[in-house]
Amino acid sequence: MLIIIASFLYAKAAVGFPGETSRIMIYHVPQAWVATLAFFISMIASILYLSKRRLNADHIAVTAAELGFLFSILATVSGSIFAKVTWGSYWNWDPRETSIVILLMIYGAYFALRSAVPDPERKRVFSAAYAILAFATVPFLVFVIPRITMSLHPEDTMNPVDPQLDSRFMTVFLGAMVAYSGLFGWMFNLKYRLLKIEEKIYKGLEEWEMD
Amino acid sequence: MGNGLIYVMAVNIVIWIGIAFYLFSLDRKIKKLEREMNDPSH
Repeated sequence: MLIIIASFLYAKAAVGFPGETSRIMIYHVPQAWVATLAFFISMIASILYLSKRRLNADHIAVTAAELGFLFSILATVSGSIFAKVTWGSYWNWDPRETSIVILLMIYGAYFALRSAVPDPERKRVFSAAYAILAFATVPFLVFVIPRITMSLHPEDTMNPVDPQLDSRFMTVFLGAMVAYSGLFGWMFNLKYRLLKIEEKIYKGLEEWEMD
Repeated sequence: MGNGLIYVMAVNIVIWIGIAFYLFSLDRKIKKLEREMNDPSH
């Protein structure tokens, strides 16, 4: 299954056709989509952690938040390059650009919070509560602000059906969506398993210290 | 397909291969660790 995902990625890079710069969209949009998805997963897992107090839920929340942060940065960078070729400048504080910076700072604070609280139990509770609050801002920053203010960013943000694009472009575009989601799933899986191993080691150490 | 575009594509493919290779090796290492943890006789 992993090979299928990887080959999808190669195939995606190898094809791609109309208007030169519009190709960035094949990367930019899925990155933003995956970031939003990741933050959403982080919020759900945080709610689960607060209600059930399962360690797994905390692992999922951190993993998703980290990957969401990573993909947001990727979307910002690719968006900035896109802005250079379409709007004429890498960065001019367009509402879209400003809102993503605020979003990055909000999630940056999440990691700062996690590393600032030494007690692991309190750390998990605090960060779970924070992640839920942080996600509350996502719909506004991602969907609302760029729409209520004058923005150069395309109106149909997060609406993948654009009739102006031809069918071959759409095929690659949707393929990229699937591939990026698969990539996210894979990276998520790896990070989660690492956290499980870490957890086991800590447990083993504690038992060893008690003996 | 412009002249420069082929280079963009080549660089892109190289980067993706690198990422995929890294993730694969990471996957293998984690699998190994998991096996060792479940079977402490190693």
